[in-house]
Amino acid sequence: MTATSPLPDSAPRARIRVHRLVLYTVLVVITGLFIGPFGWLILSGLKTPAELAASPVHWLPTDFQWHNFADAFNLIDFLGYARNSLIIALIYATLVTLSSAWVGFGFARLDAPGKKTLFGILIGSMMLPQMITLLPTYLIFAKLGMVDTYWPWVLWGLAAAPYLVFLFRQFFAGLPRELEEAAIIDGCGYGTIFWRIFLPQSWPVLSASFVIAFTWSWGDYIAPQLLLSTDKSTLAVAVMSTYVTSAGTPVANLQAAASVMYVVPILLIFLIAQRGFVAGMSTTGLK
Amino acid sequence: MTVDQISVPDRTGPAARTGRATPAQRPGISMTARRQRAFYLFTSPWIIGFLLLTIVPMAYALWLSFTTYDGISPHWTYVGLGNYTELFSDPQTWNSLGRTGLFALTSVPLSIIAGLGLAVLVNRPIKGRGLFRTLLYLPAVVPPVGVGLTFKALFDQNSGAANGVITLFGFDALGWLSDPYARYVLLMSVLWAAGNVMIISLAGLQDVPRELHEAARIDGASAWRTFRSITVPLLSPVLLFQTVTGVIASVQTIMPLLLTPEGTTAGVTALPQSNYLYMMHVFSQYFALGRYGYASALLWVLFVLILIATGLIFKFTSGVVFYNVDPEAKK
Repeated sequence: MTATSPLPDSAPRARIRVHRLVLYTVLVVITGLFIGPFGWLILSGLKTPAELAASPVHWLPTDFQWHNFADAFNLIDFLGYARNSLIIALIYATLVTLSSAWVGFGFARLDAPGKKTLFGILIGSMMLPQMITLLPTYLIFAKLGMVDTYWPWVLWGLAAAPYLVFLFRQFFAGLPRELEEAAIIDGCGYGTIFWRIFLPQSWPVLSASFVIAFTWSWGDYIAPQLLLSTDKSTLAVAVMSTYVTSAGTPVANLQAAASVMYVVPILLIFLIAQRGFVAGMSTTGLK
Repeated sequence: MTVDQISVPDRTGPAARTGRATPAQRPGISMTARRQRAFYLFTSPWIIGFLLLTIVPMAYALWLSFTTYDGISPHWTYVGLGNYTELFSDPQTWNSLGRTGLFALTSVPLSIIAGLGLAVLVNRPIKGRGLFRTLLYLPAVVPPVGVGLTFKALFDQNSGAANGVITLFGFDALGWLSDPYARYVLLMSVLWAAGNVMIISLAGLQDVPRELHEAARIDGASAWRTFRSITVPLLSPVLLFQTVTGVIASVQTIMPLLLTPEGTTAGVTALPQSNYLYMMHVFSQYFALGRYGYASALLWVLFVLILIATGLIFKFTSGVVFYNVDPEAKK
């Protein structure tokens, strides 16, 4: 349409406008495809069981069943599971952030024979699929009587996570050398230097690490499913497996409502942490 | 904060207050020795953790792989390489391995292409691109259980939107979550997280020096040519990173399990053939049959294959991947 523009010098501007229109259309369609599934999940959570089972599909619920969200809370001990998830995520995220910062400081600021090899192993271990070690670890934890306790998450937290160690290492290695020199001359130990000088400097990485570890733990499904009995388990496991009637048939509408409530906290955390988080994530991928 | 501000309170720090001899004044310990001891002290949580939570379980699995251990019966026997000869002659092993390979070979390149395409789109100077970026990235933060339930709702045979759309166009409703379509649902569930590649590539795109693009434009290079010859090579470390993490993710995904009606490890028996990936084969030996010894052998074979695969990826990309050796040149 704009190609028939009579004025020759307005042609480029018109072309840019068409370009822009095409670009927006493409973006809106793609974004719709990416966001649509969320909408469908919410709609599924607002239907009656009959509407959900009907074929052909009911696009919209006849009456929005808002009470489904309350019912999803009551059919299972939603808050109890959410509390379990929260406890595990807080234990793990706090411990793993501190231990990874501690180890990252060692790799960034200290030196000893074997450092290069150890760092190589650390990076290499990121490429080991965790599922491979999880199954035998589960057998060992079962032997040690740690099944159905939160001890595995304490141990995983204390052991530091290679990805987060790497994050802290990169950050600490970038801080100026003078930072610890004065303290060394004053006779401070490295523990004090780490705790009093480096840690207070690293709020951006500490919070990024905490958010990453928290979302890992909140999203983890297989470890709690293997290691915890139903009533001690996390929301991820409960949402997936406990929305059934006493006869064992799934209650799909309440399950959809519950999964919305399970996912929303993570989306909120992401949206709140977005600026620092995205920047942190994107720079670490490069190095 | 400046260096002075930080070091001042430390002059009256713990050492001075307690009046003890500070480590630096202690005779006999050199600075180097102190630094070395501190290094091992600082890295010890990871070293000990790696030994106890990775090496020990792997060694335990290796030992189990030579036995018929099932976790319950006390009468397990040592069978040497028996489990390995069995798994290599089991067609299920090869079929599931082939499916996993095909899954990795499709899902990884497709998410990289999709993510890169999205990155280029939202890197244009347009209004609202921040919103587009956020919305496109959002699915990538959804935890696996959320993804599984969302896709089960989307692709349900009766109530799913997918069948709603295709019946609008006059096609018959499909059983998306069973054979042979389940593999496409699995693939789409991976592509839904393409925002991951987008975000990381976006940072890379913004690092591409402007002068390079300007020089290319002056030389009359087309947009495609610029993208292929400047953008992609400069992004290649990012793309390599995405390839390796993508392959690892596709090897260990539990999404096939989450897409079954049960959604739990009990679902391994209900898996459609097309989603019976190698890890699902391990799971079914582990949880449905309790064959810990045999499953451990399967895990060790996978471990060795991954070592080989990552080795090959790095070997074949070593000449292709471009590392900016002079990071200051970016500025």
